[in-house]
Amino acid sequence: MKLTRRRALGAVSGALLAASTTVAIVRTRGYDVAPEIAARLRAFSPWQYVVFSAIARRIAAPDVDDGSVPTPDEVGVAAFVDAFIAAGPEAIRRDFLRLLAFVEHLAPLACKFGTRFSRLAPSDQDRVLAWLESNREGLLRGGFDGLKSCVFMGYYRDARTWKIPAYAGPFVRKAS
Amino acid sequence: MTIIKGRDLESDVAIDVDAVVIGTGAGGGMAMRELARAGLKVVALEEGGFHTPADFTQREDEMFPLLYQDAGGRMTRDLAIRVLQGRGVGGSTIHNTNLCKRTPDEILDLWRDRYAVSGAGPNDMRSSFERVEHDLSVSEIPAALRNANNEVLHVGTRALGWRGGPLKHNRVGCQMSGFCELGCAYDAKQNVSKVLVPQAEAAGATIYSDVQALRVTHERGRVTGVVAASAKAWVHVRARIVVLAASAIGSPALGIKSDLPDPFSQIGRGLRMHPGSVVAGRFERTMSSQYGIPQSYECTEHLSFEEGSDSRVWIVPAFAHPIGTAAVLPGFGKEHMRAMRSYGNLAVLTAMVHDETAGRVTVDDERPVIDYVMNESDRRQLGKGLIACAKLLFAGGAAEVTIPAIPSIRLKSASEIDALTTDFARPHSVPITAVHPMGTMRMGDDPRRAVVDSRGEHHFVKGLFVMDGSLFPTSLGGPPQISIYSFALHLAKYAVERARSS
Repeated sequence: MKLTRRRALGAVSGALLAASTTVAIVRTRGYDVAPEIAARLRAFSPWQYVVFSAIARRIAAPDVDDGSVPTPDEVGVAAFVDAFIAAGPEAIRRDFLRLLAFVEHLAPLACKFGTRFSRLAPSDQDRVLAWLESNREGLLRGGFDGLKSCVFMGYYRDARTWKIPAYAGPFVRKAS
Repeated sequence: MTIIKGRDLESDVAIDVDAVVIGTGAGGGMAMRELARAGLKVVALEEGGFHTPADFTQREDEMFPLLYQDAGGRMTRDLAIRVLQGRGVGGSTIHNTNLCKRTPDEILDLWRDRYAVSGAGPNDMRSSFERVEHDLSVSEIPAALRNANNEVLHVGTRALGWRGGPLKHNRVGCQMSGFCELGCAYDAKQNVSKVLVPQAEAAGATIYSDVQALRVTHERGRVTGVVAASAKAWVHVRARIVVLAASAIGSPALGIKSDLPDPFSQIGRGLRMHPGSVVAGRFERTMSSQYGIPQSYECTEHLSFEEGSDSRVWIVPAFAHPIGTAAVLPGFGKEHMRAMRSYGNLAVLTAMVHDETAGRVTVDDERPVIDYVMNESDRRQLGKGLIACAKLLFAGGAAEVTIPAIPSIRLKSASEIDALTTDFARPHSVPITAVHPMGTMRMGDDPRRAVVDSRGEHHFVKGLFVMDGSLFPTSLGGPPQISIYSFALHLAKYAVERARSS
């Protein structure tokens, strides 16, 4: 069969369509989020919520294992950041969500892991994050700083965490 | 109260005034007061909200979205520098730490000699500085009110035999809570909201908050007004005078979006940032640096205002609340949390570079884009400044000093500093923050090198004035609020003249 220009273009676009569908399915399936949480998400899709939660668990990992320090999940870091970036500019939100996809799928590959970030063991997740933090590419370092800032915004906003820095909190109280 | 909240506007508004002021920070606040006092009919447009001390909850997570552009997340295009800028009636005067320094005489002389700025030499500006300082109740912070972080800088500066001294602030009735960067819940800041807004209102000015200026309109070399929008309505302003005072980022962005004539491609160029980074010292004793008056003492040993000088660093304390501190401390995870447990024992100093890098503001998708890549000379200055901070902290009694570089640099004694070179101080390797952007619509009488003339009026659009930090041809090497207030005061008379003659 003669390979015409039209056939070649058709084959290429068919392959691209199949590949992008596969990537989309791989990218967004296999993430379990409780329905009541998923229903409240404003910026994150459920898979992005799972990825950011995994990142938050490592960035704000407690330094003790005795339960005396709240975990990022307990203080609702991912839910807070979801609302925070939903209220911000569209351009920043778009970049932030792209970064989550990068951390989940490409950063592990760059660190020679064949598994998505959210399914890696905690120590391997730390390796991926350390790779980002010290990356030669400035944009990736900057992206890591953005993730880190958001995690700590969500974590240290909660009064239960203030015992860590021995912080007394605000002097003024909101009028009820 | 003649503050109209744009979010409450249900239908379009058409306004006909003598002058419209865009932005209500130090420059815009002063401009609206002066123009209104001169008898002009004035309206001011502010994209952010109008907040009172009752709104200031002293919580970082709530105040950053309220008081800062992009919720405090504004960055340079390469994500290397965080740019903190105010948003809301009062602009950055709501969240700043009240530092009051005049434009140095050397800088004013430089602008006259090298940038063709006329009528704004030290003698010309003195009365403006004096009047602003009087209006804002500026006074020196006495040693007795110095908190532990500032005392460390004082002791370190003295111990090293370096140059330094107390700073002046515009605060009255300060409760020493230390939450200045989150807005003053006690209304002790003598800022635009407290001082200038009531005076402008008394003179007849009207402020629209939550209204974003979208375009400055102009025809045949004359300004004609502003097109703006709130959440649900258009706001059309016809005016003989337009004052751009939307900051060194916002003003050029608006100028570009408005297609202002720019034959020499000057709008947005020449951005200075006064970029800085921090060094933390851990002390054996409790410091509680988050309390008290921040930034009441400075070290100027390494600060010279000569162009090309090898000493261009200003050092002051820079303590933050837990979220800000956590973002800057190096690393993450367990090690990071262990470092956070030392929060109460920390003192932090910042080195800000009197920069010579020229960045640029452009516009993409209606939003400002900031390009600023620190040049090698400024990078070395930053490294030199951070090393000086480490020396000061040890001289002030620190047991350990951390430079939050990647990888982090932890020093156990002053003797370890000698092994340091400035190589560690690179964008993306140390956290860099800029709180003083300047210089993107520069003043000067040569239209090939300046956007506005020495009267603050656009070279090619009559009636369009600039009155914010965009004006400054170079970095100031220090905090800009007094310079911005004073230049707005100095230039307002020319806007009044133009209004009366047109």
